[in-house]
Amino acid sequence: MSAAHATGPVRRTPAAQLRRLPLHAGAALTVLICLFPVYWMAVTAFKPSRDIQSADPRFVPHAWTLDHFRTAVQADGFAQFWRNSLLVTAGAVLLSLVVALGAAFAVARMRWRGRRQFVLAVFVAQMAPWESLIIPVYIIARDTGMLDRLATLTLIYFMVTLPFTIIVLRGFIATIPAELEEAAQVDGCTRLGAFRRVAFPLLAPGLMATSLFGFITAWNEFAYANFLIIKNQENRTLPVWLSSFQNTFGTDWGATMAASTLFALPALVVFLVLQRHVTSGLAAGAVKG
Amino acid sequence: MKLRLLAGVSVLTLTTALSACSGDASGGSGDGGASSLTVWLMRDSVSAAFQKEFTTAFTTAHPDIDLTIQTQEWDGIGQKVTAALASNDAPDVIEVGNTQVAQYAQSGGLLDLTGKKADLGGGTWLKGLAEPGSWEGKQYGIPYYAANRVVVYRKDLFQRAGVDPAALRTRAQWLAATKKLNRGGHQGIYLTGQTWYALAGFIWDEGGDLAVRKGGRWQGALDTPQALAGMEFYQELQALGKGPKDADEANPPQAEVMAEEKVAQIISVPGGADIVAEQNPALKGKLGFLPIPGKTADRPGAVFTGGSDLVIPAASRHQDAAYTFVKELTGDTWQKKLALAMSYVPNKTSLASAVASDPGAAAMAAGAAQGRATPNTPGWAAVEAENPIKDYMTAALTGGDMKREAAKASEAMTRALNSAS
Amino acid sequence: MSAVREHTVPRPARRRPGRTPPPPAAGRACGDRGGPWPYLLVAPAVLGMLYLLLYPLARAVLISFQDFRLRELISGNARFVGFANYRTLLTDPRFWTVVRRTFLFMAVNVVLIMAIALLVALMTQRLGRVWRTAVLSSLVLAWAMPVVAATTVFQWLFHSEFGVVNWALTSLGFDSFERYPWFAHGTAAFAILVTLVVWQSVPFAAITLYSALTTVPAELHEAARIDGAGAVRVLRSVTLPMIRPIVTLVWCLEVIWTFKAFVQIWVMTKGGPGDATTILPVYAVQTALSSQRYDLGSAASMVTVVLMSGVLVLYFRQMFRQEGEL
Repeated sequence: MSAAHATGPVRRTPAAQLRRLPLHAGAALTVLICLFPVYWMAVTAFKPSRDIQSADPRFVPHAWTLDHFRTAVQADGFAQFWRNSLLVTAGAVLLSLVVALGAAFAVARMRWRGRRQFVLAVFVAQMAPWESLIIPVYIIARDTGMLDRLATLTLIYFMVTLPFTIIVLRGFIATIPAELEEAAQVDGCTRLGAFRRVAFPLLAPGLMATSLFGFITAWNEFAYANFLIIKNQENRTLPVWLSSFQNTFGTDWGATMAASTLFALPALVVFLVLQRHVTSGLAAGAVKG
Repeated sequence: MKLRLLAGVSVLTLTTALSACSGDASGGSGDGGASSLTVWLMRDSVSAAFQKEFTTAFTTAHPDIDLTIQTQEWDGIGQKVTAALASNDAPDVIEVGNTQVAQYAQSGGLLDLTGKKADLGGGTWLKGLAEPGSWEGKQYGIPYYAANRVVVYRKDLFQRAGVDPAALRTRAQWLAATKKLNRGGHQGIYLTGQTWYALAGFIWDEGGDLAVRKGGRWQGALDTPQALAGMEFYQELQALGKGPKDADEANPPQAEVMAEEKVAQIISVPGGADIVAEQNPALKGKLGFLPIPGKTADRPGAVFTGGSDLVIPAASRHQDAAYTFVKELTGDTWQKKLALAMSYVPNKTSLASAVASDPGAAAMAAGAAQGRATPNTPGWAAVEAENPIKDYMTAALTGGDMKREAAKASEAMTRALNSAS
Repeated sequence: MSAVREHTVPRPARRRPGRTPPPPAAGRACGDRGGPWPYLLVAPAVLGMLYLLLYPLARAVLISFQDFRLRELISGNARFVGFANYRTLLTDPRFWTVVRRTFLFMAVNVVLIMAIALLVALMTQRLGRVWRTAVLSSLVLAWAMPVVAATTVFQWLFHSEFGVVNWALTSLGFDSFERYPWFAHGTAAFAILVTLVVWQSVPFAAITLYSALTTVPAELHEAARIDGAGAVRVLRSVTLPMIRPIVTLVWCLEVIWTFKAFVQIWVMTKGGPGDATTILPVYAVQTALSSQRYDLGSAASMVTVVLMSGVLVLYFRQMFRQEGEL
């Protein structure tokens, strides 16, 4: 199979090449459209302020500067907010993975009364109007002394990402042949032991895919982070910090874009490294969807 | 089996993450000692140097108070203040935009400071700050600082065009001069289509208003003949440059546009000139200030008094210390220093002479005599949040029927003004 | 060629010996009908949903039946007003305009997203390794860009004075776009927001659909082609039916996500000009947070959820039935 792939390009005739031209043009267009805004963000971060919005836009800056990155990194609490965002996001994603894995396993592999209702509830939970729950969540957090805490944000982000995670993991587990586990069980493993030893490694891509989705959601969230962290400013997160480059005279766009670039970087890096796993993970997970 | 390891590590990280979170939170909010005072000031409302000077002096004078000043961001500040007022452990002093005080006062979340007015020297407070700071006859917001818009202009371009800035006393003269300046690759004035503070001034000059109170109900008033005349002038002026018609002055920051050396005038608070000079040092010393010309030569144009009040949340746990802080910062000594350091108008008319030496502040003070505030109602915050005025301006400037658009916007304002009450 | 290539994507799913056996077989083999295990496994999820979702939701429903404003948020004593908030809302002609607009926004977005994503997925499947990696990587980059940054960049692109779009159009000879104020016109602003939402949503949909395509066995294509079916025919009668479950899932998620699109609109236009880009979530937040009518905002959200379920009810019914077959 790999041999066929390797010889593929060699066998291609000019006519075939020509036939593939529209395909490649389409691909090039897709890449261009996807990347242009990303490129604009990154390049703006390197432009001197005066060139950022000028009457004749430049696609390649004629002067480069690191000033905006310096401003961004030197802004108050840069490291602190990074740490907070990382803690909250990682906490929410891991919690959601652990909880979802159990639920997904139960739904995909076991029969029990209430299973259908549970699956339906998970789907309906996906529709939760989070932007309106902010007031009740605030009241509950206030009355239980949970305002100003990163743990509160962690729990909310966990809940926001949980339904999606269960849905995708459920489908994923369903595609792993149960015979593998049964074989292990015959060899003397317990049911869960068999799952852990045999199926869990096969789940890696699915776990990656869902955790990245959760990561993006939690990493970007602003409204709750702004509303629930009040007096304890050390607990602010990155999206709130992003808005600190606005002042009475407008926004320091260079610094905002530099900050956004730094802000997007972890997601981008993780994504690019795991890209293949993410793709196959979503596929397998969704087939059963 | 690498994954087992991964799982183990994950659980470990999770536990540490969660325990770290809770550890943090308790460490931060646990120190509720009687003397610790938390104050919220808006970003850039004071410079770092001023804040340091003030904090040092304050803690020396009041060793029993442990002062923490926290800087708040403009983005989402309404929600943040709401969350703070409703919490059990609110910050002790909050800086609130003067047009926003009424809605918080109405909710019962603020401490009534009417009894302290005399102690704070309330007799000479600027009207544009004191009036919006009160609600139903009670004073909740204590005037902190004010700033109003002036014309920031390029001295060199004025000279080249043969315009004498001192002679610009009336709107007609201003238009004629701007026409002269709008030549040879230069924009006479860079006025964005949605600079509604400027429009408010023109409307007040004509004798109109943004909204009026009729029979206990607020009504948008952009469609009165006076208000329409104000908009017509805005349109004439706006056409003498290339300000975008569908954006406000912050997008892009107009100071950055002026820094590109193609603009002769902008309407801005004097502090905007510092940003221009910072972006383009070549313009340093070339920027002058004018009060916005009025309808007639005998008085400058009416301006919107922007600025802030200080409020003490009812949920504050250290209200006495909070009052001490408010009294210091709004007192004469620090007001003079603050006005000089930040080019502000001090909070009392009796202190105006303190800034006479600063050209920007002097131009501003001349205008401040005609200072006005937006309608004093809790609903005004809703108007600013939706801002039908901006939509109206854009529609009128891009060829819409001015009268019809004004009626539409007034209706939207009426709805917003009464939605909260 | 593409048939060969499909098999070069390493997938764990390929390790399965043949078709996936139906899960019930596994269940029966283990004989764990009943028993405490499934309940223990779903317990954390259920408890989480009860306390972190259902409880706040119930409080939100409660608020929607009360007179609840900033004063009540601070003091905590709210008065019940029955259906008054719903009555205010449902008799407001503005609300119904917003509802209509929300459906339009959702429909336009979902159709565009699904169509473009499917095209991109089909294209990606036919590409060589280098191009495929390039396309997938760019999709991922676009997906990971912070929403606020993406929104800001789009705002710049369409800036009337300094925007690249006007500059490009004018350079191409369309002089009427000289300083064209995009955000002054409701339709134009609406279109820009649709473009933005589509741009942000296509990556997830395209990647997911592409991954689904890679699971379609190549033999099926070969067989269909030998039977003389054209490319379109193969797509319609072989490929699409095979990936239908995932198409439906993506469709369902996109309906939910575009119905709830909020940040982009709030940052870019705040629902303006006029009401031209105000959809339900924007309306709810405008009422709740700007006018501090938390009661009305809550009621608006509840109506939103009901309307959204209306769109998806068929899907839910079908899903519920399928689950029963397991």
